[in-house]
Amino acid sequence: MSDPSTKDSTTTKTPMVYICGECHSENEIRPRDPIRCRECGYRIMYKKRTKRLIVFDAR
Amino acid sequence: MQSINDYKPRIILNEYNITQNLPSAPTVLDETFNIKKLKKIFRIVIVRYENMEMEFDVIGIHPFIANTFRRLMLSDVPSMAIEKVHIYNNTSIIQDEVLAHRLGLVPLKADPRLFQFKQDAEDNELDTLEFELKIKCIRSKDENKDSSRIDDIYKNSNVYSKQIKWVPKGNQLDSFKESDVGTVHDDILIAKLRPGHELDLKLLAVKGIGRDHAKFSPVATAFYRLLPDIRLTREVKGEAAERLQKCFSPGVIGLRHTKDGNKVAVVNNARYDSSSRNVFRYDDLKDAVIMTKVQDHFIFNIESVGALKPDVIFIEAVKTLKDKCLSLLSELEQI
Amino acid sequence: MGEYAELNKQKLKDVFNDPSLFNKPVKEVEEKWKLVPAFLKVKGLVKQHIDSFNYFINVEIKKIVEANSKVTCDADPLFYLKYINVYVGTPDVDEGFNISKAITPHECRLRDMTYSAPITVDIEYTRGNQRVSKTGLLIGRMPIMLRSSNCVLTNKSEYELAKMNECPLDPGGYFVVKGQEKVILIQEQLLKNRMIVEESKFGIQCQVTSSTHEKKSRTIVFVKGAKYFMAHNSFTDPIPVSIVFKALGLTSDQEICSYICPKDICKFAPTLEECHNLDIYTQEAALKYLGTKLVAKRFVTSASKYKTPTDEARDMLATTVLAHVPVKEYNFQTKAIYLALMVKRVIDAQNNKKAIDDRDYYGNKRLELAGSLLSLMFEDVFKRFNWDLKSIAEKTIPKIRASQFDVIKYMRSDLITNCLVFAISTGNWTIKRFRMERQGVTQVLSRLSYISALGMMTRINSQFEKTRKVSGPRSLQPSQWGMLCPSDTPEGEACGLVKNLALMTHITTEGDDYPLIRLATNTGVQDINLVGGEALQSPINYIVFLNGNILGVTKEYKYLLDSFRMWRRAGKISQYVSIYLNKSQRCIYISSDGGRLCRPYIIVKNGIPLVTSKHISDMEKGIGVIRSFEDFLHRGLIEFLDVNEENDSFIACYEHNITTQSTHLEIATFTLLGVCAGLIPYPHHNQSPRNTYQCAMGKQAMGTIGYNQRNRIDTLLYSLVYPQPPIVKTKTIEMTHFDKLPAGQNATVAVMSYSGYDIEDALIINKASIDRGFGRCLVYRNSKCFLKRYANLTFDRIQGPLLDPVSNKVIWKHNILDADGIVAPGELVTNRQVLVNKSVPVLSNVPGTSAGASNIDYKDVAVSYRNVEPSYVEKVMVSTNEDDSGLIKILLRQTRRPEIGDKFSSRHGQKGVVGLVVDQEDMPFNEYGICPDIIMNPHGFPSRMTVGKLIELLSGKAGLVEGKFHYGTAFGGSKVQDVSEELVKHGFNYQGKDMFYSGITGEPLEAYIYSGPVYYQKLKHMVQDKMHARARGPRAVLTRQPTEGRSRDGGLRLGEMERDCLIGYGASMMLVERLMVSSDQCEVDVCNNCGRLGYCGWCNSCKSSGHVSTITMPYACKLLLTELQAMNITARLTLTHYCQ
Repeated sequence: MSDPSTKDSTTTKTPMVYICGECHSENEIRPRDPIRCRECGYRIMYKKRTKRLIVFDAR
Repeated sequence: MQSINDYKPRIILNEYNITQNLPSAPTVLDETFNIKKLKKIFRIVIVRYENMEMEFDVIGIHPFIANTFRRLMLSDVPSMAIEKVHIYNNTSIIQDEVLAHRLGLVPLKADPRLFQFKQDAEDNELDTLEFELKIKCIRSKDENKDSSRIDDIYKNSNVYSKQIKWVPKGNQLDSFKESDVGTVHDDILIAKLRPGHELDLKLLAVKGIGRDHAKFSPVATAFYRLLPDIRLTREVKGEAAERLQKCFSPGVIGLRHTKDGNKVAVVNNARYDSSSRNVFRYDDLKDAVIMTKVQDHFIFNIESVGALKPDVIFIEAVKTLKDKCLSLLSELEQI
Repeated sequence: MGEYAELNKQKLKDVFNDPSLFNKPVKEVEEKWKLVPAFLKVKGLVKQHIDSFNYFINVEIKKIVEANSKVTCDADPLFYLKYINVYVGTPDVDEGFNISKAITPHECRLRDMTYSAPITVDIEYTRGNQRVSKTGLLIGRMPIMLRSSNCVLTNKSEYELAKMNECPLDPGGYFVVKGQEKVILIQEQLLKNRMIVEESKFGIQCQVTSSTHEKKSRTIVFVKGAKYFMAHNSFTDPIPVSIVFKALGLTSDQEICSYICPKDICKFAPTLEECHNLDIYTQEAALKYLGTKLVAKRFVTSASKYKTPTDEARDMLATTVLAHVPVKEYNFQTKAIYLALMVKRVIDAQNNKKAIDDRDYYGNKRLELAGSLLSLMFEDVFKRFNWDLKSIAEKTIPKIRASQFDVIKYMRSDLITNCLVFAISTGNWTIKRFRMERQGVTQVLSRLSYISALGMMTRINSQFEKTRKVSGPRSLQPSQWGMLCPSDTPEGEACGLVKNLALMTHITTEGDDYPLIRLATNTGVQDINLVGGEALQSPINYIVFLNGNILGVTKEYKYLLDSFRMWRRAGKISQYVSIYLNKSQRCIYISSDGGRLCRPYIIVKNGIPLVTSKHISDMEKGIGVIRSFEDFLHRGLIEFLDVNEENDSFIACYEHNITTQSTHLEIATFTLLGVCAGLIPYPHHNQSPRNTYQCAMGKQAMGTIGYNQRNRIDTLLYSLVYPQPPIVKTKTIEMTHFDKLPAGQNATVAVMSYSGYDIEDALIINKASIDRGFGRCLVYRNSKCFLKRYANLTFDRIQGPLLDPVSNKVIWKHNILDADGIVAPGELVTNRQVLVNKSVPVLSNVPGTSAGASNIDYKDVAVSYRNVEPSYVEKVMVSTNEDDSGLIKILLRQTRRPEIGDKFSSRHGQKGVVGLVVDQEDMPFNEYGICPDIIMNPHGFPSRMTVGKLIELLSGKAGLVEGKFHYGTAFGGSKVQDVSEELVKHGFNYQGKDMFYSGITGEPLEAYIYSGPVYYQKLKHMVQDKMHARARGPRAVLTRQPTEGRSRDGGLRLGEMERDCLIGYGASMMLVERLMVSSDQCEVDVCNNCGRLGYCGWCNSCKSSGHVSTITMPYACKLLLTELQAMNITARLTLTHYCQ
């Protein structure tokens, strides 16, 4: 087990949104759900881009 | 050879190398710098000035000084360019770093003289220009559905530099007009998008110099060449004259019709010769021409990127040199 | 033939009616090279692989199943299982619940699956007393080659391919197995079923490697002393040939002699004598003798098959010796003639050394492709599958059971599937029945660049041992002309053993024999069994061979040759049938077997090429009857020649070389190079090894790898940010579409010296060029994570990021994780940060008892990033693989600017590293204000003699000013003269030398500088991946010495030779420091009394601390002493003072 002084922050049951690799529709998938698009049945999902700001040097 | 041994220092373009006409005699190049003499012979003649391009002659200076101006224009005259790209969203296929790099190279229209070099981490209106690029590609709902042209099917499929919007900071609106700030060209392709792709960027432009990064260089290029001087050593007639004409850039060699119907080659204007030295292809013409260049006559060409006028860039370069000299003097005094 | 026939007739008339035209040169066929793209359109660059695989899954697999169609059982004579038919379907994936869905190759790549199709059979079998037939029964899955007939990608439009995430320019011809792209390399072998006369250690021998579906054996006839023997691996000793003849039914010595050669009877007499010595006069006696020489069988088969040694010898002669010669009902006539011929060849070679065959001659080679290799594998596993069924049946049927024995229940599909998948994914080709074991048959398709992938598809691996230092098989054989690329071979140990196909080479697949036999008989070939010995030896008779078997004898050999060629040109028999004459052997060889190399040629008749300019222009415009390459073949204007026939023909390279003798005309000379060498502009001006170097380097160049590169998640992928097609192209570049998927950039190069940082091939690069994007590249790497389920109902889990209890913020390591515990795309990952926060269950001691998920302990096994240089996350894929366990792939990206030490190369084997990056203002500039991107030292030219590079620069410059692409095609391309003229037209120096000004002093340079654009490739070797230094760091646990290698942050070794230097110099203290102090210094207590090691100032063997002193020594030494002690050897140390 991990260090007891740190605690788990997120509940593992919250759904996350993934994007289907075939039809590009957004799918809400919970952990341990089968990975399959609700629209087209495709089995490859991609994660959405981070919401955070990323700064780049224009070099 | 005698004909070129005049008072002017020259270089001679031989078939295989370049030599000086007076290798042992003192020339301008060997003289110590003398301001009085310089004032007497120094001249600047503007030959051509088209919007962002300029050609002018600088006559009577040392090549080292001429070169210094060239170098300063390339690397030390400041200009504004995008330095930081804040990416809030980029779902297009172009990679974040590549996108940032492309944006950095977009020439900006903003007078760098009105800005300071960025000092601390905090942005302020004195050293930073802020831009914004927000765009989303969608499938267009127009009637020409049958069209296969990309522009008809999608909206915003191409991101151009005109879509970069200036976001005034602080009191920048008071000191700049909307037309003063922006990109120089509005048709630079930055990225291509497809429906669903989205860009949401904040761009921060700062003042910098070309030595740091080529995007800060105010010129596309700045260079000089020496004034060509071409002499014919003997008369070239007929077919040979036409051949000779073709060995040089157009307008360099003219044909004069003599009374007996022959054509004789004469030098019209050697200025725009490209130093191609193609006479050396013909053994019979080799000895008819001497190609030289005047060593203290510099034909400068400045192609501005667009933020500053070329003449301003040259003056800025001179100022930079002056500043550098002054700071060197003050450094020397402290020793 | 219509209009064209008319045309030809007219031309013939023109030439032959008017004597003044006899000396007229043959008119050039304009633009005949356009046949090459037409050829490639039909055949494609990897057609050989695809053809071979297609042949396997459509034809050969049926033959194999038919040959092994019946499974019977000893336990029940009524039981049988018969395969009626077999099919290979289209690729699909099992979605569970008996639903299958079509799958695309790209999905397989992403999900680490195998792109395979079901193999189904129709069967008929007995269940109890019933006869049952069943169709569509799955027996296994066959990995499917991309773009083969059963692949989903074949005959799809570019749009459809794009929909499937596939690159339209990808050649196919490889497999996707467990997500990896695997190529079955072409294997080169000595040809089978033919006699080869060669010189061995003992003398001249003639050997035949027979190969049929069942058997593989080698028969050798050789001379020993004055006698001729036959050796075969089923006999213990060499057997005098005369005895074999007697065993084959030729009992009379006269008959034997008549078949061998009556002239050399004296040579053969000692061998005949051997028979008399051994008292062998009858076939029976000979067989009996042979029976005593049989190799003892390894397995004694079931007792029912007891045979006498005589019978066994007869069987052996019928089936194993010269197995490819068919024997029907023990009629050995053909086999005897064949053996006689072998003896005759040996005798001939003894008389005339020229009759010895050359093993390295390329006509004596056959290439094995994916199809034939897979068919060997499949046949083997299919036999095993049937044998398994049989043994199950034998075990199960005698038992009395409630339900009847049903074979179908025992037909499991995983045996065949696993065997094929295992073979392709490991490259270990184990064929049990031939006792063949080969490693490295498959390789992972290199996707460094488009060219490296393409180059791999044309690669030929040979069976020779790499370590052997032989020159024969490695050197370029004249017979390889036009078939194999003369430039493209690696350097070093595999030099000359690994080869590459030339551009137009085609590899044949097996053809049908029967029509050829019919045709030969109809053209007057007499059956061999009807011919006596005298006729065989008569000088007017020619022996006809078909695929190594004697077919018969003919007098009209010319007629036979002509009619076969005529039928081939008319398209009545296969285009790939070859026929050629060997006059000294008085033989005609007809081949229709698979694996021969062949190549198309224009047919020349009466000194006139049949293809005319009109044909070419018609094909281009698409009018008339000739529209494609196939039409040229069908109309008999072009034909394929294999190596043997090519060497029997008079082939003119160009029209002006055509003489009355000429039979064929080369289509385009540049096709004798391969894909990789085809990229080189002006290769005919380069020193040959330079072209070879470029062939190796072109495969390391970064660039684009395919239109689908952004959808791929490869372990390592390099890509250039701004790739450009070369200004100086070649025709091969266009045909291979390198200009659409380029790997390099056109750099303005000045050939001059600058600063001294350019010695030894180093390059000077303009910093402004780098700022503007020159040589910028992207490096993609992936990180994988599997989520498994376990038998005890536990599973791997992923948790969200951890919070720091003090600040209540996410801890640094988990900073980049989303709520689902996986990194989000777009984030910057630095060293040691976590990508996937996975934890696995700790195995509970009592399985099955605690099914509840609540009380399972988990252990963190986070996937973290390990690299000093940070990366960005490009994309994160979440999916499942074949066995439904979770799969997460994370694609990481780095962007790199060129820096000092990065490797660049032009297309002429001129590689160099960046020596200095110079500011733009310091670079020289010319009268136009152009300053170079790269400065190259001129010393690179004289010794390398890469004149092609000089011409490339000139042509590139002219192309630049003219605004067009120039061609540098091999044996052609834009001429220097024309290119110079173009430069002059635009006011440039005709030699390409410009006047430059120094960027530092501002004065003109004394010399004119050769400058212009040259195509430069950025190679994959970059300093960032290689640079390494260490002061302190990790040590190996056992020896306490610094670890080895960059990946382990290891130390830099002071090796033996460096040590020698220091010894020679006498720097002993330095040695002590390097080898001990900085490495594994260790303080040891040594007892002066007993000389053994002690500890803590105490000697345990003396039980005293009186004589113990502490010394320093390398830990490795101490370790040795202890290890010796553990082996019951004691090493004693004697200590003296340093100063004594």
